[in-house]
Amino acid sequence: MSDVVDIRPGAILKNNLWSNNPIFMQILGICSALAVTNLLTNTAIMTLGVTLVTGFSSLTVSLLKKLIPRKVRMIVQTLIIAFYVIIVDLVLKAFLPEISKNLGPYVGLIITNCIIMGRAEAFAQSNGPIVSFWDGITSGLGYMGVLLVMAVFRELLGFGTLFGYQIMPAAFVPWTIMVMPPSAFFLLGLIIWAGKTMMGGEKA
Amino acid sequence: MKIPRLVIVGGKLALICTVAAVVLGLVNAVTAPVIVENRERALAEGLAAVAGKAGVSGAHVGEASPIADSPAAQTAYPITGGNGEGIGFILQLIGTGYGGDMQLLAAYHPTGELFSAQMMENQETPGLGKKAEAPEYMDMFIGSGAESPIPTSMSDLPASQADAITGATITFIGVGRALADGSELVRELEGLSEGGTQ
Repeated sequence: MSDVVDIRPGAILKNNLWSNNPIFMQILGICSALAVTNLLTNTAIMTLGVTLVTGFSSLTVSLLKKLIPRKVRMIVQTLIIAFYVIIVDLVLKAFLPEISKNLGPYVGLIITNCIIMGRAEAFAQSNGPIVSFWDGITSGLGYMGVLLVMAVFRELLGFGTLFGYQIMPAAFVPWTIMVMPPSAFFLLGLIIWAGKTMMGGEKA
Repeated sequence: MKIPRLVIVGGKLALICTVAAVVLGLVNAVTAPVIVENRERALAEGLAAVAGKAGVSGAHVGEASPIADSPAAQTAYPITGGNGEGIGFILQLIGTGYGGDMQLLAAYHPTGELFSAQMMENQETPGLGKKAEAPEYMDMFIGSGAESPIPTSMSDLPASQADAITGATITFIGVGRALADGSELVRELEGLSEGGTQ
């Protein structure tokens, strides 16, 4: 197998959305996958935040890679990620206060999402700014896709709603377990198994 | 003269940090007034909402008075009726939930009976502790505090209400304890004001 990374936009998109998806192939960003996926709205906003932070962090790391001393590059990458997360947090607090209130501490925890640092270190550090931005955005979209699938199941079965709108009949008894983190473990396990089985390449 | 490598690395780090700090300062300068305005609006709406449940027409919320020596309460607002008669107090309370501090607004009759409450800023878990933001969540506390104590544990609740707080017991206990402390404080405040007028 060749170690050369295909940096064509289509190949990056396919890689990050499917064949090297950060959640079910790289098993990154799992903490937030367990924490925020009990409501679709929160999941959508949170993953949008992660997508933007990943894209702009990768862009910035790529632009500054010649300036950043190699020995302290991870400190600088963390600083860059924190910088964008603080901006997302402030903008949400100011202009989308209800969403910010609902997400609570999870916005700040974007900093700890391994996907962002992973893409900065594995891709942006050795590629150009535009392609790094695209890699960051598509990695975020791959993360977003999996989390939205989990959120659909959890909100539908846990609350009987989707995006807050009642879907299940009045007689439906919500499954409390689905709004609690353990259900996300089961769902994530199923998604990893399904994804890897469909690809057929690796043992699930 | 050759500049030591440590100085070069330190200088580059300082430059990157400075640029980040300046940009964040600019973003903060734009967003901070809006955030403060949002908080003030939320507080004003919260005060009007809890005072509105006093059951008296023309209920008015007075000036805020800071409360010293109370870990649970920050500020007290007197509520007066249309004729200026005292109806009770609204307290700005802090409870401890699963995600840290929770801010509450609670309105009491002078007897310490809770007649309205609302969850304000909190970091509770979406889908679990966040349910305390729903107005009907406070129904399990309303009416207690004078003749009956404010519930602070699951065993104080009837089975139907205890089921409703499953998965968010710590939030419930934090809210209950803060409201109970507030009730006690209102009775003390009322005792002081009666003492002052005698």
